Amino acid sequence: MSEVVIKNLKKIYDNKVTAVHDVNLHIKDKEFIVLVGPSGCGKSTTLRMVAGLEEISEGDLLIDDKRCNDVAAKDRDIAMVFQSYALYPHMSVYQNMAFALKLKKTPKDEIDKKVREVAEILDITRFLERKPKALSGGQRQRVAIGRAMVRDPKVFLMDEPLSNLDAKLRNQMRAEIIKLRKRINTTFMYVTHDQTEAMTLGDRIVIMKDGYVNQIGTPQEVFAKPVNLFVAGFIGMPVMNFFDECKLLLEDGVYYAEIRGVRFKPDDFQQRALKENGQQPCDIIVGIRPQHILVGEGELEAKIEVSEMLGTEANLHTMSGNDEVVMVIPTMDLNVDVSMGQTIRFTTQPRLMQFFDKESGNNLIWYDPVSAEANAPVCKEYGF
Amino acid sequence: MASRTPAAMKRTVGGKTLGRRIGDNWQLYALLLIPVVLTIIYKYIPMYGIQIAFRDYKASAGITGSKWVGLDWFTRFFTAPTCGRMIRNTVLLSLYSLLWGFPIPILLSLCINQLRFPKYKRVVQTVLYAPHFISTMVICGMIRIFLSPSGGLINLLLGTSVDFLTESGAFRSIYIISGIWQDAGWGCIIYLATLANVDTSLYEAAKVDGASVFQRIVNIDIPALLPMAILNLIMSAGSLMNVGFEKVWLLQTDLNKATSDVIAVYVYQQGIENAKYSYSTAVGLFNTAVNLILLFVVNRIASKTSDVNFV
Repeated sequence: MSEVVIKNLKKIYDNKVTAVHDVNLHIKDKEFIVLVGPSGCGKSTTLRMVAGLEEISEGDLLIDDKRCNDVAAKDRDIAMVFQSYALYPHMSVYQNMAFALKLKKTPKDEIDKKVREVAEILDITRFLERKPKALSGGQRQRVAIGRAMVRDPKVFLMDEPLSNLDAKLRNQMRAEIIKLRKRINTTFMYVTHDQTEAMTLGDRIVIMKDGYVNQIGTPQEVFAKPVNLFVAGFIGMPVMNFFDECKLLLEDGVYYAEIRGVRFKPDDFQQRALKENGQQPCDIIVGIRPQHILVGEGELEAKIEVSEMLGTEANLHTMSGNDEVVMVIPTMDLNVDVSMGQTIRFTTQPRLMQFFDKESGNNLIWYDPVSAEANAPVCKEYGF
Repeated sequence: MASRTPAAMKRTVGGKTLGRRIGDNWQLYALLLIPVVLTIIYKYIPMYGIQIAFRDYKASAGITGSKWVGLDWFTRFFTAPTCGRMIRNTVLLSLYSLLWGFPIPILLSLCINQLRFPKYKRVVQTVLYAPHFISTMVICGMIRIFLSPSGGLINLLLGTSVDFLTESGAFRSIYIISGIWQDAGWGCIIYLATLANVDTSLYEAAKVDGASVFQRIVNIDIPALLPMAILNLIMSAGSLMNVGFEKVWLLQTDLNKATSDVIAVYVYQQGIENAKYSYSTAVGLFNTAVNLILLFVVNRIASKTSDVNFV
C-alpha cells in the first residue's frame, strides 16, 4: 500500500515567484503517474517537493496517510532517479547501488544479496565492479534505476530519466521501464517533457502548464478528450490542427460547426453534450488531429507546401486559408497527387472534431468546471 | 601512388602536415608563442649561468673564462659545519608547513561550501582572502608586534611576557601558523571552484539515500577535491626545499637560528652579502635538484595510489 495524496500543493520561491499553484493529485497504490508539460511548467518542482528536495510552501503531502511536509527526504521511503543519473563517480556500480543500504546499516550479506538480485534483473551484473565513467548512457541509467530499486521504496520518483539518452536508446529504455514496472509493482511518479513517453508509460497523465495542472487523465482520455487548447496541442504527434475563425451555430435545436463556410454537423453524442452544457452559439476554434483528416474528398481545400514520405504514411504540411494544417495519410492505395504545390480537398468526421471556446480555450464538450475549480481538472463525464 | 615513408607519416596528423596545421591555426600558435618566448628568456637562458656552480667564478673573467673546479663547491657545502642543520631545518620547515598548511584550505573550502547564505559566504571568503594580499614585509612586522614580549597580543592573551622570536623551539610554529593565516583562505579558492562544479544532483541523490551532511562531504565533496588536492600536493612537494627566504630572513634572530637557519637564507647570505656567487649557485642547484627528484617521486606515488597523473 503506497498512496500519495497531494493537496493544494504550492511552491513559492523567495523572490515571490510561484512555480506551482494549488496542485491536487491522488496517486493510487501501484499507479504509474506521469507529470508532463513544457519546460518551466512546475512538473519537476512538484516531484522534488514529493521527494523532499524542495520545501513545500503551502498545502499537504501525504504518503500512505502520513503527512510528510516536514519529513526529511531519507525518511519518506521514496527513491529517485535523476536526469543526470547522479551516480557517485568515485564509487563502483556495486558501491553506488549499495550506498543507501549501507547508510541504513543493513547487514553486509543482505546488501550483497539485494544488489546482486537487482543487478541480475537489470542485466548489469557484469558491470558491478566498474566505475560509472566506464559505462554507456544506457548502462548508467540502469545503474541509477538499480540504485533506487535496491531500497524497495514505497514510491519511485523519476525526473526525466531518459532525456539524456539518444532516441534509439530512449525507446529501448522506455520499453524496459514498462517491463520493470510490471516486475516491481510499486507506485511511480515520473516526470517528462516528452508526450510520447507520457502516453506510453503512464496509467494516468498529469499535464501541467505555468505551474497549473491542466488535465489529469488516462492517455486515451487526454488524447481523445482534451479539456482545453493547451492539452489538445500538447498531446499527440504531429500536433492537433486548429482552425481559427470557426463558428458554433444552433439552428432548430441542432448544433453545427462552421469552418470557413463549410458546415459540419456534430454527432448525436456531441449534440447531447452541447445541449446538456447549455452551449450558446459562439466563435470557436475547431481542432482536428492530423490522423483524422480524410484527403481527396470534402469541401475544404488546402495547398501542399511540404510533403514528407515516411513509408507507410506521409505527412502533408499544407495551408488551408490562414491555417497551417498537417495531415497524416496512409500511402497505401493513395490515389491523390500529394506532391508539393498541389491543391487537395479534405474533410473529417465531425465526431472526431474538438470544439474550443475561442475566448477561454476550453473544450465545449470535455471541460469540466467542477474539477477545474477544485484544481484537479479531468474531462467531463456524461451519463448518456 | 607511392606510399609515404614512416618519417613522412610522423610529420602528419589527420592527413595534415605540421606546417599546414600551424598555418591553419596560426592565431593560436601566435598566442602560444608569447609564453613560450618568455619562458625561454626568463627560465631557460639563465640556466646557462648554472655552470658557475662548477667554476670559481670571477666577474672579470666571465662565466666561461672562470676556472673549472668541478664539484668543489658542493663538497665545501656538504662539509660545512652548518650544512646538516640547514638541510634539516629546510626539510622540517617545509614538511611541517605542508603537513599543517596543505589540509587547512581543503577543510576551509568544505566548510565554506556548506554555508547557505550567499552574502555571509562572500563576507567569510573576503575575510579569509585578505591576509594573502599583505606583503611579507608587513606580515612579519605584524607578527613581531603580536609576539612582542611587551604588550604583544599573544602575550596579553596568555598573560605572559615571553619573547617568542628568541625561542628557537617556537620559530617553526610561528612560521607555520602565520603561513596558514596568510594563505589558507587564498589556497581554498581553487577547491571552492572545484566544489562549485560538483553536480548538485549528487547531493540530492545522497540526501534521498539518507546521507548526513558529514556523509555527503565524505562521499561527494572529498572525492571531488581529490584530483585537485593531489595536483597541489605534487606541486608543493616539488618546492619542498624552497622555504620562503624573505619570511625566514625577516623573522630570524640570532637566538632562533638553531631552527631558522635554512638553505634559502644561506644562499642569500653567501651570494649577495659575501659575493660568493659560485658557492651560492652550487647550494641553490643542490636545492633545485632535490626538488625535482621529489616532484617525480610524489607524482609517481600519487599516480600509483589514485587515477591522477599530472606530471
